[in-house]
Formats: sequence, C-alpha cells, structure tokens
Amino acid sequence: MNLWQQYVCPASVAEAVQALTSAPGPALPIAGGTDLMLDLSQGRHPPVHTIVDLTSIPEMTVLEIRGDELYIGAARPLTRIARDPLAVRHAQALVEACDLIAGPQVRNVATLGGNVAHALPAADGTISLTALGAEVEIAGPAGTRRIPLPDLFLGPGKSALKHGEELLVGFYLPLTTYHSASAFKRIMRPQGVALPILNCACRLERDGGVMAEIRIAVGPGGPTPLRATEAEAALRGKPFNAATLSEALDALLQQARFRTSAMRATADYRYHLVGGLLKDTLEAAWERAG
Amino acid sequence: MTNIVGKPLPRIDAFGKVTGETLYGGDLSMPGMLHMKILFAHRPHARVVSIDTSRAEALMGVFGVYTSKDVPVNEYGLQWNDQPVLCGPGSRYGEDHAYSTAEEKGRDIVRFVGDQVAVVVAETEALAAQARDLIEVTYEDLPLVTDPEAAMQPGATLVHPEIGPTNICVHDKIRKGDVEAGFAQAEVIVEGEYRVPVQEHAYLQPEAGLAHIDDEGRVVVLAAGQWTHTDQKQIAHALDLHIDQVRVVYPAIGGAFGGREDMSVQIVLALAALKLKRPVKIVWSRQESMFGHGKRHPMVIQARWGATKGGKLVAAENTFIADAGAYMYTTNKVLGNSTITQTGPYFIPNVKADVYGVYTNNLPGAAFRGFGAPQAAFMAESQMNKLAEALGLDPVEFRMRNLISEDLTLDVGTPPPGPVSIGQVITAAAKTAKERYSVEAFTPTTVHGQPSTVRSWGFAAGFKNIGFSFGYKENCWSRVEIHGDGEIEDVVVYSASAEVGQGNHTVLAQMAAEVTGVTLDRVHMVTMDTLNMGNAGSASASRLTFMSGNAVKGASERAFEKWQAEERPAIAEYTYLAPETTPMDKETGYSMPNFAYAYAAQAVEVEVDTETGQVRLVRVISADDVGKAINPAQVEGQIEGGVVQAQGYAIQENFITRDGYVLTDMLSTYLIPTIWDIPESVDSVVVEVPDERGPWGAKGVGELPYLPLAPAIAHAIRNATGVWISEIPFTPERVLKALGRI
Repeated sequence: MNLWQQYVCPASVAEAVQALTSAPGPALPIAGGTDLMLDLSQGRHPPVHTIVDLTSIPEMTVLEIRGDELYIGAARPLTRIARDPLAVRHAQALVEACDLIAGPQVRNVATLGGNVAHALPAADGTISLTALGAEVEIAGPAGTRRIPLPDLFLGPGKSALKHGEELLVGFYLPLTTYHSASAFKRIMRPQGVALPILNCACRLERDGGVMAEIRIAVGPGGPTPLRATEAEAALRGKPFNAATLSEALDALLQQARFRTSAMRATADYRYHLVGGLLKDTLEAAWERAG
Repeated sequence: MTNIVGKPLPRIDAFGKVTGETLYGGDLSMPGMLHMKILFAHRPHARVVSIDTSRAEALMGVFGVYTSKDVPVNEYGLQWNDQPVLCGPGSRYGEDHAYSTAEEKGRDIVRFVGDQVAVVVAETEALAAQARDLIEVTYEDLPLVTDPEAAMQPGATLVHPEIGPTNICVHDKIRKGDVEAGFAQAEVIVEGEYRVPVQEHAYLQPEAGLAHIDDEGRVVVLAAGQWTHTDQKQIAHALDLHIDQVRVVYPAIGGAFGGREDMSVQIVLALAALKLKRPVKIVWSRQESMFGHGKRHPMVIQARWGATKGGKLVAAENTFIADAGAYMYTTNKVLGNSTITQTGPYFIPNVKADVYGVYTNNLPGAAFRGFGAPQAAFMAESQMNKLAEALGLDPVEFRMRNLISEDLTLDVGTPPPGPVSIGQVITAAAKTAKERYSVEAFTPTTVHGQPSTVRSWGFAAGFKNIGFSFGYKENCWSRVEIHGDGEIEDVVVYSASAEVGQGNHTVLAQMAAEVTGVTLDRVHMVTMDTLNMGNAGSASASRLTFMSGNAVKGASERAFEKWQAEERPAIAEYTYLAPETTPMDKETGYSMPNFAYAYAAQAVEVEVDTETGQVRLVRVISADDVGKAINPAQVEGQIEGGVVQAQGYAIQENFITRDGYVLTDMLSTYLIPTIWDIPESVDSVVVEVPDERGPWGAKGVGELPYLPLAPAIAHAIRNATGVWISEIPFTPERVLKALGRI
C-alpha cells in the first residue's frame, strides 16, 4: 500500500491551494516532512491521495525585508533562517530558537511553518514568533488573509487553519529599531536533541534604564502558546531591576498554568525553573538593546 | 616481545562497516523471500481466550498466520523454558503431546507487553502488517503484578503459577563469619537504601533476521545474537528438531550489550521458513525493539555496613530485591553476579546477604553489560564513600586499607584467583587525577561566569568476573588452518565467537598472526556459524579475549607445530577449558565461583547546575586492568564506550513504565547520550597485570569501565553540593529535590 498516490510540486501559492482543494482524495501539504513522513510511514497518519510539496514556491521560501517588516516564508528550512543576516539582525529570538529545534540534520530540512502549524504550546519557533509580535499570512480558496499569530491557535494541536484547504504562507515581523532587541532561551533534558521542558522568548525596547516596551512568551504555559501579558504589564514603563523582575515573575506565575508531562517534567519543576529562565531571557535581550 | 599482539592495529572489519559493504540482519535478501510481522500482546497480564486469524488469512498475499497451536514445543528460555514462543491456547509439547491442559503450563498467558501472540508472513512487509492488524484476539485480563516488593508477599497474584507458589524466582544467600559479632565491633555504621533503574540496550541495529531452508533440508537462521550454539539449541527445542537440522549463522551484529543473549525473532522465523519452505525475513522497528526485548534489572538494595575507627571494614548486611520481569531469561545468573560482587573488591570478614529475584508483569530483566555487578557496585561504592566520610578518611585511602587480596576471602568464603590488581588500579586512577588535573581533595569548585554551577570530583572502583561462573564448564573451540607451500600464504581461523562490535575478531586475528608469524592481512576469519564449528560460548562476561583467545592461540600453536613438521595444509583444532569453578552453597554462598576477576577504578569530575538540577559529566579517568591489551586502541574504545553507556545509565536515560506499559518506547522519549553529551575527556589508563592463564596475560575489559561510573558520579555530586542521591538516574528533578529546591 502506497502512503500517497500523487506527489505534486506547485510553483506558486495559488497552484498549491488549487492542488490541495482539487485532489480527488485526502491531500496534505509537505515542506520539510520531518514529522509528516514519520507519521505516514509509522501509521500514525493514514495514507493520503495527494501530497503537495511547498518547497519550490519562492513566496514560501524567501526571507526579505518588505516595507517596514521582515518577511519569512513558511517553507524556509530552520537552518536557513538561523544563518540569515537579516534574521540575525531583526529576529535574534527566532534565530536562537531555530538553532535549538531538534538536531542539525533535521534543522536542515524542517521548516518554521511546520513548527508553527502543529499548534503546540511549547514549539520553539512559535514561542519566539509570539514574542516577536509576528503576524501570519494564510492562503486558501478565497484568497489570502493576515492575522496576528496568537489567533492561529485554538488549543493544543488545534489551529485555525482549514485542513485540506489552507496553507501557512509566511510570517511578518516588525524590524528591530534602535534600542530594541529580542532573546530566546530554553531548558531541556541534558541531551543534544530533545524537546524543551520550558522555553521563553521576549522582545523589548529600552529607554535608558526603563523597559519602554516588552513582549514575552512562555511555553508550555497553557493550552496555547502563552503570551505573558501580566508579566509584560508589570515591566512596561518600569526600570528593569530586581524588584520589577520579581513583580513580573509573580504576575507570570499567576497567569501561567504549568502541567506535568509524564516523560519530561513535573509541574513543580517547571514552576521552579521559570523564574530563572525569565530572568536570563530578559537580561539577554536587555543587554542587547543597550 | 610480540610483533602484532599489543599493537593498536586497525580493525579488520572497519572497511566493510564504514563503506556499507557489510550486511546486517536487516540488509539480507533472498529470491522468493517473504516478510514477517509479529502480533505482540500489548497488554501486561492476560489469558488468551481465543485467536481468530481468518480475516488475516483471507487477505490476498498472506502466506501464513501462525499461533500457539503451530509451535511444536511451545516453550523456550536460556535458563528455564518458562516462556511460550507464541502465547495462546492449544499449545503442544512435542508432536503427539498436548500439554495436559494449556492452563497447567500457562502457555496461554501473556505476561508482559512484548509477549508474542501470532506471526504473519506475507508478500510484503506492509501486507504482513495489515494482516496482523486483522487478527482478533480475545483476552481475559488478569490482575497485574508490577511492584516486586509487593509481588514477594504471600497471597500476591502469581505470574507463573505453573512453576511454583511464589513469585520469588531467585534467592541467593551469603552467610560469611558472624555478622552480629561484626557489627558489635563496628564503631561507625552506615545504612542506605539504593534504587537502580531499568536500562535499555539501545543497540544501533534493532532485531532483524532471515530464515530459509538450505539444500540439505536444514533450517538456517541468520539473525544477530551473542552465542550461536545456544540459539541453535533453543530453536531446535521449540521446533522439535534434531540439533543438526538447525543452522545458526550470524550476519554482522550491530551491538548487543547482553540484549541479544535471549531470543527475539529466531524461533518464529525458523517456524515460518519450515512451514512455507521459503525464505522469511523480519526487521523490528525501534519501538518493537524497545518493548520487545529484556532490559537491565531494576533493583532496590538495602545496605548496612560497619567499620572500626581505624578504618577497617568489619561487617556488612545487604538485601537486594530485583525485578526479574515476566520470564527468567538469565536473572539467576545476573543475580549470582550481584551476590558475588556486592561488597566490592574489599575484604569484609562478616557478611550476610539475601538477593531476591521476583517475577512481575514488567519487561524481563536481561543480561546487560556488567550483568548484575553495576547495581551492586552502585551500592557498595556509595557505602564505601559514605563510610570514608563518616570516618574522616580520604576515600582512596579508606579503600586502600580494605582491599581484597589473594590471601583474603571474598563474600563467597574463598579468595579471588590471582592476580588481584585492585590496589594498582585505584592507585593509577588517583595518581592520574592528581598529576593531570591537580585533584588533591574532593572539594567543590566554582565555575567562572556561571554562578549557579558547582563542580567536584568523585571516586569509585569495581570488579567483575571474567568468564562464566558457578561451576559451568567454561570451554571454547577453535580450528586453525595454515595454507601455503614454502611460505605461509593464508591462515584461516574458525571460531563461532560473536563480533558484537567489541573487536573480538580483530583480536583473534592478531593472535593467530602472532603465533604463525604472518602479517594480519594473511589471516582470514571464518566465524559465527554452528555448522562445522564447535561451541565458543557467549560474547558476554568480558570473556571472549580470554576464552576465544586461548582457543585460537592453542589451535594456532598446534597448527604451527604441524606446519613446522612439514604438514600441508597444517590444521589443528583446540578446545580451551577454563579452570573449574563451583556453584554457590544454597545456604551460605560458599564457593569458588570464578576463575578470574578484573579490576577498575575511576575518578570523575561532575558539574551540577543548582538552579536547573542538571548534572554534566566533565571528565573521567578510568584505570582498568586488562592483563594485557592485545589491541590498545580497542581497549580504549571499550573504555570510552563503557563510560558513555554508564553515563546514560547514571544521568540521562529514564525508562518509564506505567502498569506494565512502556511510556518511553522511542529514542525521542528515551534519551541516550549523544555526541553533545559525552564528557570533555575520558582518560583511559590501561593497567597491565598479566594473568598467566590468559592469552599473553590478557583478561578482559568489556564490562569493567561501566562499573565504577554511577557511584563515582554520586560521590562527585555529594562533594559538589553536599547531598547524596541514592537513586539512579540523577535527573534534574531528583537533584533539585535532594537540594530541597522543589
């Protein structure tokens, strides 16, 4: 039994949507395929009729400045984001995340769109994009639409993408301005290739000793990628010091809901770690913005 | 002086393995080959009421579906025949003998999730999998037994009611001296409870193989193992064949570590090949490998040791409870090794010990590098470090005051056969730590720029028998042929001994070359086959350099004598017989259980992040007495590999089961060390105290470097942070709990 009947390589987003929606049986998009191919070959996903390969679509693999935003195609491999000078300049948090996902071989083919599309609450790419204030462009039969990234996530593993109809096309991020910077950090089992126990990203603007603007994301801190709005409010417009940091942590602990995952970590351990992780992440970005 | 023995020559199997020419089980292929899939129980304790294979059999492309009824003698086992080949009703025992009732023999019971219930053979692997999923099995779940301590209690549900009225399947005892009188002399007593976990072998190559019928009607099984001749015996027994009707040949073996001592795919492959008269192949997935074969025994160990203020050990009392899992496998022998190594390489005049193995519905406890000694060493060496601390003595000095020697008795009441080199390896490890890394004391140091981390060194030793124990008549066969006319053109070495990746065949070739005076490229190895080859014994117990080395050396010497006497070709066979050993007395353990021991000591540096609880192994100095390094590069390879495997055991690996089910059945959830995790350095200090009975004085090394690492890391964590952690693995959460942070 074949895992698919037809494999197509469209050259444009419109062709890709057409291929998805017109397939005579179940159809799936593929980019890096590092999860999907395992799911298909190990029987966790039933065989499909059509696989739509997105990696030859220029719009989905490019990384460039568009106006006052940085645009990253959803089918761009992680290594090619982490090594891109524009990404290094404007999206340090994302670069750091893309350098930690899985192992080197996987990063060479796995894509940012794949990382986000799974809608997992602690995906490293998702957490960094959330803190960076990303918007996502989605293409479907009715055309394209652009929404704030958090609106994509409905629950653990559940996204607002219409299955078999819609695609993640790419991500728009604000450019780094003078005295703004971002950072991403995570805690994982001490092994080279492992899922995060806890991750954190932030983007901030510094006005001398004051945190002028701040955005923080933490995973897994709830059913969807957690934007730590309470912690942000505790820091915004305040001097960055031990007292405000402590208030921010209290606020984060009020907002986040850490759970025990049987094979990785207990909730207690995550509650213990998050303070140090938040501090390290904020300090890294604060130094960069100085 | 030797020319080839003792040289770090490149491995003779390196080229084929590096270029991909070498064929492993999964690479095999034959014309007309069919594919097999196994239906595993996927439930930990249940009676198989009925199996309906009709839908599977009706599928186009399916050639055979076999269940319990199809196995001529539905039982096997390396020690005891306590495991059904296929669990189910209607099992037979020989051609005309049904079991008096299936229930009586328990062949219709599945006792762990990896028990096999049916096999399907089909045109393709995918079809076989599809048909497997069409088999309908009706189970009647039975009460679960997963906690060995509870399983020991009277009235507990029995895993093997057909064997006896208790789940206790092993009870070894040591009664040496007068333990009460010993404790009366003790001025310092240290007590501890230690818990050691399951470990997965995680060999690179999952279980795989091919069986076919040869021109002479024999069933030939090509599947990696560790001992061709016991595989042959077990296959013949279960299929009710004469031993000569079964031929076992090993393709290349992608790691074993003890996990291939017990059967996995061999019997069912042979069964299907016999039924269908066609070649049949199977390759297990990583997941199947992880729940389908046995694991290192988890144990709970209670220890109470006493010493005088002068730093002399006077008494020890230990109790081990080991989870044997669903079947015996080699649990009796593994626990025998725990029993004989349980007070370490030290002399204690008064010892009482009880070592229990208990059947449960968990994965079977199996052979695994160290074979019961690592668990004992974790307890014994931790006890030593705690006693040294309580006595205010340096841990190295305290060990030196209590060393076992040729004149002192082990717990089994007899001295170790010499040479005893524990003092040399301890001194070598401590001296290297001092000279290379200025380790003067086991005190904490900080790391610049990392305020939450702290480092320290730790120390431990270990010892382990070389070769089979307890009265087994240790033997190993070889044949050597010398071809040529005036000059030797070709030396052919026949040996069934298993090259599991450790380098055995290179070592044997070096030995044959040394004896016959040829270069290594003139030696050809013919290996790992039961046809026309005598028994070599297993690739286990660190025994092959000693045992197959002596066999090849003896055969080479005899053939070379004939060559010098002008015989052409010059051919000699030789079976090496090891010095005799004796079984343990049932009540006291008194015995001469082994003919040789090897000794190791390690100093390790560890870094603990007190914020995250993460433990990093920074450096390891490993001093191992191998008698004589036949190939020093391979000895270093064994030391480095042993250290990293033990690092996984101590720090990273965390095999999680719940109610008999395996939660960590993939390498993405069961994390073994990668290149990112290994220590910055492993300094191998190869000590050579020759054993005159070994070939060129060689003993063995495979298991040695594994033994001291976990207790040495525990000691280093203590020295860095002030807390003892007596449960492996040292996970971040366990460290933080010990530190009182969570």
